[in-house]
Amino acid sequence: MKKNKLLIIALVFMVCCNLTGGLLGVYLIRGETGGFDYDLAGAVVVGTAIGLLFYFIAAKLSKKRNGNVPEVDERSIMLLKRYFMITLYVILLGSGAALIVVYSMGIHLIETGLLIVCLGVIYIVVILGAFVIKRL
Amino acid sequence: MKVVNHIREIRLKKGITQVKLAEDLQITRQTVNAIEKNKYNPSLELALKLMEYFDVPIEELFYLEKTKGE
Repeated sequence: MKKNKLLIIALVFMVCCNLTGGLLGVYLIRGETGGFDYDLAGAVVVGTAIGLLFYFIAAKLSKKRNGNVPEVDERSIMLLKRYFMITLYVILLGSGAALIVVYSMGIHLIETGLLIVCLGVIYIVVILGAFVIKRL
Repeated sequence: MKVVNHIREIRLKKGITQVKLAEDLQITRQTVNAIEKNKYNPSLELALKLMEYFDVPIEELFYLEKTKGE
């Protein structure tokens, strides 16, 4: 029961993050799209709902294929801990080194839009890596 | 020194599949495989669960293999 409750909380949290991020994005670009774009906001909501649907289908298929085997256990938690520790150092040192290189190249200003794109790419790579590590 | 185990042999002798073992002990199949291949040493809790599950003494499941010079 406790596990189910945690899963529901995690799902609700992720859906809230998706909706908040998406709708915030739509709100922030309102100057370029001529006001709050309700079609885009609708796409954010529908996209989140479809993502959730995909999750439920994948969970159902996984349960059918693997039976009552849990998704994570002590070993996968240990692997994930190691992975995130390495990721932390790589990102800390890598971003520091990248900043020094960029500054030494004479670039002293960075556009925040570019930073958002870079961070987005880093998030995606880290999350995909975590999925791969979990399956090891 | 290296920890070696006989889980695979005992499991096969009892006719239990990796998936069944994983389900019963609530661990992933990958963990069962890693333990059997001596690539991962289970926690004390899991080792005790394995001992209870197979109903064998701990020394029959795990033992220390001495390497040269030890």
